[in-house]
Amino acid sequence: MALIEIKDLKRYFITKSHTTQVLNGITFTIDEGSFVAIVGRSGAGKSTLLYQLALLDTPSEGTIIIDGQNTSTFSEKQFELFRLHTLGYVFQDYALIPDLTVAENILFPLHMRNIDKIQSTHMLHEALDAVDLRDKKDMFPTHLSGGEQQRVSIARAVAGSPRILFADEPTANLDSRAGRRVIDLLTKINQQGKTVVMVTHDLEYTESCSRIIELNDGVVISDTKR
Amino acid sequence: MHEIRIGILLGVKQMVRANKWMSLLMICVVSFTFLNLVVIQGILLGITEGALESTRTQALSDITIEPSPEQGYIEHSQQLLRELVQYPDIASYSERYEELAVIEANYHVPIGGQDPDVIGVNIFGVDPLREMETVDTKSIMGEGEFLIPEERGYIVIGKHYIDRYAKDYGDMYDSLRDIHPGSVVRIWVGEESYEFTVKGIIDSKVDMASLSVFISEKDFRRIFNRADFNVNKILVRLVDKTRSEQVARSLNHSNISEDVRIKVFSEDIPKLITDVRDTFSKLSLVISSISVFVATITVFIIIFINVLSRRRQIGILKAIGVSRTTLVWAYVTQAACYGFLGIGIALMALYGYIIPYFIQNPIDFPYTYVSLYLTTYDIVFRAGMLTLMLIVAGYIPARMIIRQNTLNVITGRT
Repeated sequence: MALIEIKDLKRYFITKSHTTQVLNGITFTIDEGSFVAIVGRSGAGKSTLLYQLALLDTPSEGTIIIDGQNTSTFSEKQFELFRLHTLGYVFQDYALIPDLTVAENILFPLHMRNIDKIQSTHMLHEALDAVDLRDKKDMFPTHLSGGEQQRVSIARAVAGSPRILFADEPTANLDSRAGRRVIDLLTKINQQGKTVVMVTHDLEYTESCSRIIELNDGVVISDTKR
Repeated sequence: MHEIRIGILLGVKQMVRANKWMSLLMICVVSFTFLNLVVIQGILLGITEGALESTRTQALSDITIEPSPEQGYIEHSQQLLRELVQYPDIASYSERYEELAVIEANYHVPIGGQDPDVIGVNIFGVDPLREMETVDTKSIMGEGEFLIPEERGYIVIGKHYIDRYAKDYGDMYDSLRDIHPGSVVRIWVGEESYEFTVKGIIDSKVDMASLSVFISEKDFRRIFNRADFNVNKILVRLVDKTRSEQVARSLNHSNISEDVRIKVFSEDIPKLITDVRDTFSKLSLVISSISVFVATITVFIIIFINVLSRRRQIGILKAIGVSRTTLVWAYVTQAACYGFLGIGIALMALYGYIIPYFIQNPIDFPYTYVSLYLTTYDIVFRAGMLTLMLIVAGYIPARMIIRQNTLNVITGRT
């Protein structure tokens, strides 16, 4: 069953002098439990597409339906709640809050969901165990390596058990060993039943994916299911 | 409520772990802004309040009882004075006799062959003890001493009638040359003259005091032939000066109010001082308004820079599902905390150093010594106003950034 459905999705940026068309009418569906890689060369529109799917940006035209809900009708509050409860997001540059410790970074969205202390501590430990960073929970992000920060970012994204995990070039800033570890982690999360949508420009990391969507100039040029 | 609680938590954590120099700068700005608000106003109001307080303690006291305009003196004065003693609110009183007379100096050996010095003055006859209990005679004596009970033949003269002081005021008053404690002067009452020795010279910034001439009531009655004991004015000092209106009302409703006018200090204030006070109040309002405006802009800029520097962080928090309410509260909390800390430090400096310093070292203005005049209400009002302003200055930039598209906030795109 389709968990995500996008129809004729367009995103363009209008300036005084000209209009830049980034996404040129994209239509596809993503089934629940799949591990989708969105690939393409630089400027193909991969990240822009992911931002639309993750509800971080508003499309210029077209609709995005997630779990049967048309997101174009959402209010700002609904977007907030949907991002909090249904979606997880892993940023290319980790995007951890430097003022908060590893544990606080992971706990913060759980606190937002008003999960009680015992339950949230349990979820924190589960997430830290999954990324193998329990011993670093009281450290600040700046004291961690890039690979460790990305794993914290993944732990934060999955701690609340979102149905869909979006990852924007999660290996881009990592060496191959750390990158492999992140991909293994995402694969493991997918195997636990989560839907994972990842943007990458490195085809080496797509071997665990169940589907690869390739973009070029804002349109889908290939869609391969494995 | 939950979102607000999380916002406060986030705000506190961000503040605790923020750049220490940035926090220190912010706290300093708030502290100095608050001090600017209260100290400038305190000095401006201190100028007029200092002058008023000096006038009250050195010349007019809390309540004055005068004869009705048709009469030159208070009838049945002694009966009235006996009744005044019954009032528990009255700490002391001083009855004053008053007459016009001429004082002559240097009449034995005219200086430089000139004519003797002659001045026309209002002379007060007082009971020295009661005058000292009612008026702050100690602080107004520039040279020599005030009158002493039971002594006869002594006079105390205000500095405006003494040549070496009067020079500072141009030719405004006739003056006596070469007068010091111990000098002898003559008081002319009609064709009769009486010699008095100068006991002291009044040197007060309150003109009313420096234009006074005192002799003892016994001397006064003798030379002016006032055997009826009816006085011209009674000064009344209260136990609690703030109760002057109530006491005056009570006196007005009693049987002593017949044929007298009972005036509280505020009715007796010279118009010049009330005009100056009104002018300074308006000036203080203008300066305070400008200070508040400048402070608002300063704090707004600092918080705006703080928010801008955390713009991406705000975007990330939005992206992971943190609500706008929570984020706004995080910044409002920080602004409020900076406010509380800054104002707290400023209050410590104010009460621990600045106010005691001004009490010890009042500024010497031409017509009074100025200390800070600050009421608790003024301080609380300004602290509240500054805190509110800080909260607004924290709210607006946070709201401006948070309202933007999440992705734009993260990427810095406009």
